Amino acid sequence: MKLNAKDIASGLFLILVALVGLYINGGLLGFGLEQHALGSARRMGPGYMPMLVFWLQIALGTVVLLIGLANGPDPLEKWTGLEIGSLVLAAIAGGVVYAAAPYFGEFFTQTYNGLGLAMLVGFLVLCWAAGWRLLGYVCAAMAFFSLTLEKGGLMVALIGTIGIAALADPDHRARPLGVLGLTIFLLALCWWIFIKELDIRVAVWPVQY
Amino acid sequence: MDIFANLAHGFSVALSFENVLFALIGALIGTAIGVLPGIGPVATISLLLPITFGQPATTAIIMLAGIYYGAQYGGSTTAILLNLPGEVSAVVTTLEGYKMARNGRAGAALATAALGSFFAGSVATLVVAASGPVLTSVALSFGPADYFSLMLLGLIIAAVLAQGSVLKSIGMVVLGVALGLVGTDVQTGQQRFTFGIPELSDGISFVALAMGMFGIAEIILNLEKPEARSVLKTKVGNLWLTKEEWRRATPSVLRGTVLGSVLGILPGGGASLASFGSFMMERKISKGRHLFGQGAIEGVAGPESANNAAAQTSFIPLLTLGIPSNAVMALMVGALIIQGIQPGPRMVEAQPDLFWGLIASMWIGNVMLLVINLPMIGMWVKLLQVPYKFLYPAILVFCCIGAYSTNNNVFDVYTTIVFAVIGYMFSKLKMEPAPLLIGFVLGPMMEEHLRRAMLLSRGDPMVFIERPISASMLAIAAVALGAMALPNLRKGKEAAMAG
Repeated sequence: MKLNAKDIASGLFLILVALVGLYINGGLLGFGLEQHALGSARRMGPGYMPMLVFWLQIALGTVVLLIGLANGPDPLEKWTGLEIGSLVLAAIAGGVVYAAAPYFGEFFTQTYNGLGLAMLVGFLVLCWAAGWRLLGYVCAAMAFFSLTLEKGGLMVALIGTIGIAALADPDHRARPLGVLGLTIFLLALCWWIFIKELDIRVAVWPVQY
Repeated sequence: MDIFANLAHGFSVALSFENVLFALIGALIGTAIGVLPGIGPVATISLLLPITFGQPATTAIIMLAGIYYGAQYGGSTTAILLNLPGEVSAVVTTLEGYKMARNGRAGAALATAALGSFFAGSVATLVVAASGPVLTSVALSFGPADYFSLMLLGLIIAAVLAQGSVLKSIGMVVLGVALGLVGTDVQTGQQRFTFGIPELSDGISFVALAMGMFGIAEIILNLEKPEARSVLKTKVGNLWLTKEEWRRATPSVLRGTVLGSVLGILPGGGASLASFGSFMMERKISKGRHLFGQGAIEGVAGPESANNAAAQTSFIPLLTLGIPSNAVMALMVGALIIQGIQPGPRMVEAQPDLFWGLIASMWIGNVMLLVINLPMIGMWVKLLQVPYKFLYPAILVFCCIGAYSTNNNVFDVYTTIVFAVIGYMFSKLKMEPAPLLIGFVLGPMMEEHLRRAMLLSRGDPMVFIERPISASMLAIAAVALGAMALPNLRKGKEAAMAG
């Protein structure tokens, strides 16, 4: 067998997204959630184009999948047990934190802060496995940024973001002084570009309660 | 002649202090990211989109355009001196350019690339100026059915010419169209796929999608690869070409310019396709073809001219029809829409400052780039010594602030994270994100034209083949798809893409 695992996974992904879309749209053989009105070919309702697009996507996904059964071999990268474990754990941790976030304080009930905390924890848990570390640290850094920006101000958000992002590179982990220099340089640069020149509306320093 | 009056008007716009300044900034940034491997024009432009919101539309587009064609100049520097393509479009330049550098003719190769690019850029600018108004008047006679078919053609050709499997690319286009459906339905006001999230009622943020998939996902992928940046050993040497080299390079530059201009206009075309095409052509028909593999100047002159010509003419479909032909142009559509300008055939009339100013600025930008690249080459070589580990935190931070400042809302940063993860997964599955971006931009426009066309035809889908313009578009699309089913052509494409 010459299985092209990448193509098979791509096909499955396309089909899955389309099925979810059809389910929400209401064009999946009568089942559906939001039930956008389909309308007629002459007067198309809001659900008509999505229905066409998703059925086309299912068709394409199926063809990609079927061709993928024979045009390989192109295997996916091997996942270690640790990588699978940390992915599951990260998903659980993220879910639990998201559900529990409102109990941590009023802050986490405002503007997606609960979601941000869940992402931050989830991505950091993901870093347990070496294979996920780059993705985990980079995404965790961004989650930290959006979590702290509005209350902590730009400077605090940037220091944390650069610090977490630097963990992704082994050289930075070995030489923290270089990261410090980089942080100071980027703080100055961002202040100059975004605050002084572009004047974006954001707090620079922590907001007083 | 009308065109000269218009060009004169364009120059008066482009030569204002602010526009010259931002053309220069664009050209400098473009050269820098062109020189640096690991960050390309798509990522950079999506990164800088939020910064352009505060600027007038013309200035913003002038700067973003400068980045795109500036990257074509810069990309060749790394390719020639280090055997590392700074840009995809400079991949083929490494083949002959680096050999020339090894032979001690690095200076000549750099000069050929810069002069060829300048010549091609100047010609392509004239092509844009001449064809713009003509195409616009044609486009004004298009009905909704014709528009729909034209966009379909653009999407299919973009998918056919993308790297990798055609079917998968079409799947990505469709997925992009599906993502474009999120938000408020224009005709009924119904919320579609928004899950009750108010931030999604305007649709998925274009900036977040592009930044996540191209900016952030690229950082992670670059970090995965161990840094393979060799120390510069070759000396630049004399920048002047010998008489013999002039004689050999000139026809290649001319051929590259013509080929690049044509391939740039094609939907789905663009700089990288043009440089591949030109390299194949030079290897087949140039007088110095027997010297290929030993540092033939033709192999630098042709592709470098072609990619710059294509970078400029790929603005034609955008400016006249409102259709982006590649991922960079899709970003330009995003920039225009955010500025409140609907790209389309009415743009030339309604926004003469933008259209003619951009054209004039392209030529000014090319003059700047010649100066930036030739006498100042040493500075760019120094830039290569900045390691990626110092670059990526800067890119990341810029993405975060940029995503936030689009709407002053952290929701956009979270969306960026989601698309970074999806983009990372796509690259692991060899799914091309560029067709998705084009589909995402064109999807909402296609839906509108489809609904309008069907309303006018009273629900009869035959309208798409009864109208001659629409029918011929669909026929071309079918031929393009059919051609890819032929094994010979597919192999040819794979060979061209592999360089």
